[in-house]
Amino acid sequence: MKALEIDNLYKKYGENVAVNNISFDIEEGEFFGFLGPNGAGKTTTIGAITGIVKFDQGVIKVFDKDVVVDYREARMMIGISPQENNVDIWAPAEKILWYIGGYYGMTRNERKEKIPELLKLFDLERHKEKEFRMLSGGLKRRVMLARAMMHDPKLLILDEPTAGVDVELRHELWDYLKKINQQGKTILFTSHYLEEVEQLCNKIAVINKGEIIALDKKEKFTENGSSLEKTYLELIK
Amino acid sequence: MNYIGLKTFTFREIERFLRTSVQTILSPLISAALYILIFGVVVGARIDLIAGVKYIDFVLPGIVMLNLINSSFSQTAFSLYFQRFARHIEEVLTAPISYLEMIVGYVVGAVARSVVVGIGIYILAVFFSAATISHFWLFLFYAISVSVIFALLGLLIGLWSDSFEQLSLLNTFLITPLTFLGGVFNSIYMLPEGMQIYVRLNPFFYFVDGFRYSMIGVSESNIWIGIAIILGLILFFGSIVWYLFKIGWRIRN
Repeated sequence: MKALEIDNLYKKYGENVAVNNISFDIEEGEFFGFLGPNGAGKTTTIGAITGIVKFDQGVIKVFDKDVVVDYREARMMIGISPQENNVDIWAPAEKILWYIGGYYGMTRNERKEKIPELLKLFDLERHKEKEFRMLSGGLKRRVMLARAMMHDPKLLILDEPTAGVDVELRHELWDYLKKINQQGKTILFTSHYLEEVEQLCNKIAVINKGEIIALDKKEKFTENGSSLEKTYLELIK
Repeated sequence: MNYIGLKTFTFREIERFLRTSVQTILSPLISAALYILIFGVVVGARIDLIAGVKYIDFVLPGIVMLNLINSSFSQTAFSLYFQRFARHIEEVLTAPISYLEMIVGYVVGAVARSVVVGIGIYILAVFFSAATISHFWLFLFYAISVSVIFALLGLLIGLWSDSFEQLSLLNTFLITPLTFLGGVFNSIYMLPEGMQIYVRLNPFFYFVDGFRYSMIGVSESNIWIGIAIILGLILFFGSIVWYLFKIGWRIRN
């Protein structure tokens, strides 16, 4: 089954075409790398999938649910960790998780059960009562990831989740993402660190100037002894 | 319908104003206490009966209404503006919550804040022997429906504003002047005849006068006209807010 189907997505900001009729699919269980330079259209595409961006044309489906027509069902299956922190900075980590669980229809008991689990998983137990604004960069990133996982989404969208994160957490995160991907979670992953994309993803799309310029299995990007970084740089020249 | 989502969003709005209760609850109570003390007691002691009642009884409903309006307007305007500014409105926009549920959550949060402030002022007024309610259901109708109007207006301003200055423009240039000119402190018959017609064109006059009727049983307008204006404004502002949320104006890219 397809976890995500994007068909002829088009989005313009004023005169600037951000995404120009792009189409691609992600199969259920895939670890999908979505690469491109800054301003290429990655975040706009993710915004269109999650409902933050109103797109001009095209159809997006998440596990066969249209993100506009069946937005409730579609959003129930998506968890997003955005590039920039978009939380109430005066709320403590525990509250942030409590609220987001509620938005996604989780009962009080479900939330009471899930929150300690996530706080432990992301090593946030000692910081659960601190206001978000008081946390370090790495801890903030952990809260964002825990928030994305709160309602146990089938499709996890991670927009540069390791930006500003220390090496230790980055490795812990890689291990965790590999584990949940092996358990069946579909992941859409963007990053400027190509070595982690190479290590984690099994399929990669490259977007540049609003258009998909390459889409293939990871091995295709690294065949003939080339590195992903070298292939990528050639593609976006 | 996402009942749990709506309930969570509404409670979050309530928790937001409770978190800053000095500013959102204590501050209007202090200002209302000063109004009651100065206008009701100090000045009021030197004024004869007005519309057949003591001045403090006459002025109290207007003071309560003034604070209900300010509380509900500020709640939604600041909440939505901050959520847009800090971008955490995206948390709700990406969740399975409809536009209507968002609007209801904001409005219920604002009405809750107004009710808390209104009850506080009413308790204060008890100490000045000025708290009466003649028509309870009408009292409830006015308190809630006028709060809803200004909660919706606050949402419009919260959407429109790009700065703190813009956020306070409507309050400074429209809400405060029209409330004061709407008969909070004076009977319409104290004004020159030529001015009375303009006061009758001011919807705030009907909010204050109707609320006064519900509290002390004295009215200078037709209550039914007031109720029709209130329901019409709820429908009008409600439709605009719903449409703007639906098209994602200033909240979705």
